[in-house]
Amino acid sequence: MNNTPRALNRVLIGILGILLLAIGVLLILLASVPAVGVWWHEWAGGVLSFWLDLFERTQFPRRQGSWLWLAICLALLVVLGLMIAWIAQQGTGRTSLLVAEEDPGEVPGNVGISGGVAEQALRAALADRPDLAGVTVAAYKISGEPALKIRVEPRQGVAPHRLAAEVSALVEALDAVIGKRTPVLIHIGSGARSRFGRSERVR
Amino acid sequence: MSQDTQNAGIDSAGHDTDAVPGSAPLGSGAAGMGRIVKRETHTSRAVVSVIAAGLVMAVFGYALLETGVRAIGQPPWLVDPQTAAERVVALPAGIPPLLLGVTGAVIAMAGLFFFLNAVLPGRRARHLLPDRRAAVVVDDEVIAAALARRARLAANVAKEQVMVVVSRNRITVNVRPTSGVPLRPDAVLEAVRREVEEMGPWPMPEVRIQVATAGVVGA
Repeated sequence: MNNTPRALNRVLIGILGILLLAIGVLLILLASVPAVGVWWHEWAGGVLSFWLDLFERTQFPRRQGSWLWLAICLALLVVLGLMIAWIAQQGTGRTSLLVAEEDPGEVPGNVGISGGVAEQALRAALADRPDLAGVTVAAYKISGEPALKIRVEPRQGVAPHRLAAEVSALVEALDAVIGKRTPVLIHIGSGARSRFGRSERVR
Repeated sequence: MSQDTQNAGIDSAGHDTDAVPGSAPLGSGAAGMGRIVKRETHTSRAVVSVIAAGLVMAVFGYALLETGVRAIGQPPWLVDPQTAAERVVALPAGIPPLLLGVTGAVIAMAGLFFFLNAVLPGRRARHLLPDRRAAVVVDDEVIAAALARRARLAANVAKEQVMVVVSRNRITVNVRPTSGVPLRPDAVLEAVRREVEEMGPWPMPEVRIQVATAGVVGA
């Protein structure tokens, strides 16, 4: 539920996939069909002579060499920067504040409740349960509004709907404490600890 | 021996009509809830994106090195860009056709991997559960473990004799009976079905049971 740019991911991966697919198919055809080789010589030769011509026409005024190389360097640097920006976009969206509102009372100021409050409260409430292998609570910002993600890892064989109902009751108690209903997602998942740990036989 | 549960992954065959699980009448407490649920039941492709970006950065970084070396008039590191372009133009010549074909096949496979990752719906092996306060998302593995436990109790067999496979629209309960002890498949199926109905996952899978013909000795 983080703010990974999903549409962008899909589009960019799709473009890269199509490009690689086209290059791969072209190489296979070059290796197997002679007629494709003839066409390739003509087409790519034309492209290459166009670029060589371009390099000829972009010589430095006085000394040897073309400034087009520097331009290509700059373009490559821009692409590299964009790729780094793309990677940095993955998995963002965590927030620390669960509630941030202006206090309507007599004292001027804002009230902020950290997501750590919800985390500590829920972890303490779920700490003694033998049927859970782990609890993680994190606050995310979904379309400008803070939301809570509670991930519980039950041991093998625990009925998820009963666990969900119990965690949901805890969330309602938390609502009463905080005084505001935030969107809550309960994710009942399995990880290494629940998979390889002892299974819950008696409840 | 831990064949108790198994996650069958995403059953992407058919049933593409309900692409947005957020439209389900479940746990929709707030406005952003549909978006949250959609994001939790579909993969973000973050890992594939990072791989793709790393690949592009490696190729372009090398190109930048060679172009930069050329721009300041130094000898090339591995190959001069112009020489490389000339070799590419002359391509069927200068390289064994088998090597060229295999290289092409590898690149095409990588391209297919990225392309399919972008095009396929990318559903995660998860189901939604109804709840009046929160949105609840459950890994299929957890559902399978719970149902395996229920089936094991109903069939009165050991843990290793039950395997439950949960996919998007189907739950298959595989039971290997103990040799000499009769097993009533209908009773097991009924127990599992009741548990599934109580759980109420969305989309609701169909429950099937498969009893192995060969039994387990001495279980």
